[in-house]
Amino acid sequence: MTPAHHPSDDILAAYAAGALDPGFGLVVGAHIEMCAACRRRLSAFEAASGEALAALPAAALAADAFAQTLSRLDAIQAPAPVIDRRPLIERLPLAKKKWIAPGVWVSAVMTPHAKDNRVYVLHVGPGKPTARHTHAGAEFCTVLKGAYRDELGLFQAGDFAAADDALEHQPKVAGDEACVCLFATEGRLKAKGALGRLAFAYADV
Amino acid sequence: MGNVVTMHCRQGMSDEDRLVAVASGDRGAFRALFESFAPRVKSYLMRLGAVSAIAEDLAQDAMVQVWRKAGTYDPARARASTWIFVIARNAWIDRLRRERVELAYQAASDPEPEAMEAPDDAVARAQTEAQVAAALGVLSEEQKQVIRLSFFEDKPHSEIAETLALPLGTVKSRLRLALMKLRAHWEGLA
Ligand SMILES: [Zn+2]
Repeated sequence: MTPAHHPSDDILAAYAAGALDPGFGLVVGAHIEMCAACRRRLSAFEAASGEALAALPAAALAADAFAQTLSRLDAIQAPAPVIDRRPLIERLPLAKKKWIAPGVWVSAVMTPHAKDNRVYVLHVGPGKPTARHTHAGAEFCTVLKGAYRDELGLFQAGDFAAADDALEHQPKVAGDEACVCLFATEGRLKAKGALGRLAFAYADV
Repeated sequence: MGNVVTMHCRQGMSDEDRLVAVASGDRGAFRALFESFAPRVKSYLMRLGAVSAIAEDLAQDAMVQVWRKAGTYDPARARASTWIFVIARNAWIDRLRRERVELAYQAASDPEPEAMEAPDDAVARAQTEAQVAAALGVLSEEQKQVIRLSFFEDKPHSEIAETLALPLGTVKSRLRLALMKLRAHWEGLA
């Protein structure tokens, strides 16, 4: 299936340039794995980054930098890592599930990211509600399985969504399948209502 | 083999020609690539927040990979600058990942290093597929300018934000500022 919602140009440019926090980069990468159109867009941004690289002012290198590099050429190489071809959802190193309600759990993704950011998978069973909430900062999301609908539309497997502190939304699972999403957020979500706050505090990943 | 003809031609070689020559073990071509790219790779890494010593080490490391991987370079698919850029960017991401993982070990004394190192290789994988084409013509001048301004030039954030007020994409300028904040996170790491 071809995703309908894609990262914007500035997000993809930041990803291509290597300027995203790795947690946020992981969420963009999850979309790119499932989106041939964005793989093509990414190569254009990488080409632009290559041009920009070639135009950068040169930094001073150590006087013997080339000699040092030559001496590294013959060092023994670590064997190339085997590429894991399973779908991302099976490759993610997940912490223990925290159950919020029947059919609803979160699990932190054990991946490096900046200290104040959070990277996690949220699983919501069909027909289960989620809390209406706003965001303390940027939030990236890629749907790994199933689908949800919110004020911005229908998001299905592979779709990417970016939210900022101006967005207040209440996603609802669409269809009969559980919805599984990969998130990276800056700071904590701010739930509307006491029950939502309680669930979010408990599930703080 | 360094005969007279190739020595003469080297002056007029493109970076793409040089990379192809490196694949067949030409150290002269490698030196030329090193001299033009290593200082710029270091410069790029320092802009991403690496301190000078780490940027130097990674720039050398990236050039070692250029040497080793040159056999996989296809000039019909990517410019040399794009190909070298991707290697340098991934060297940075790998380093960042490794250092964060080590920090995590210290904090949690985790006995299962494999679990921590399990690949979230979406980034790496996207990259290999992205070497397919350097479709530079796809980008508008404005898009290219955003890339240059945001990630490759030392501009005050306010000035960048002003330029980023261009009608690009659907994400609000606040999100763009958030992206810059993310970049600032990185700056604290190296
Ligand atoms: Zn896409």
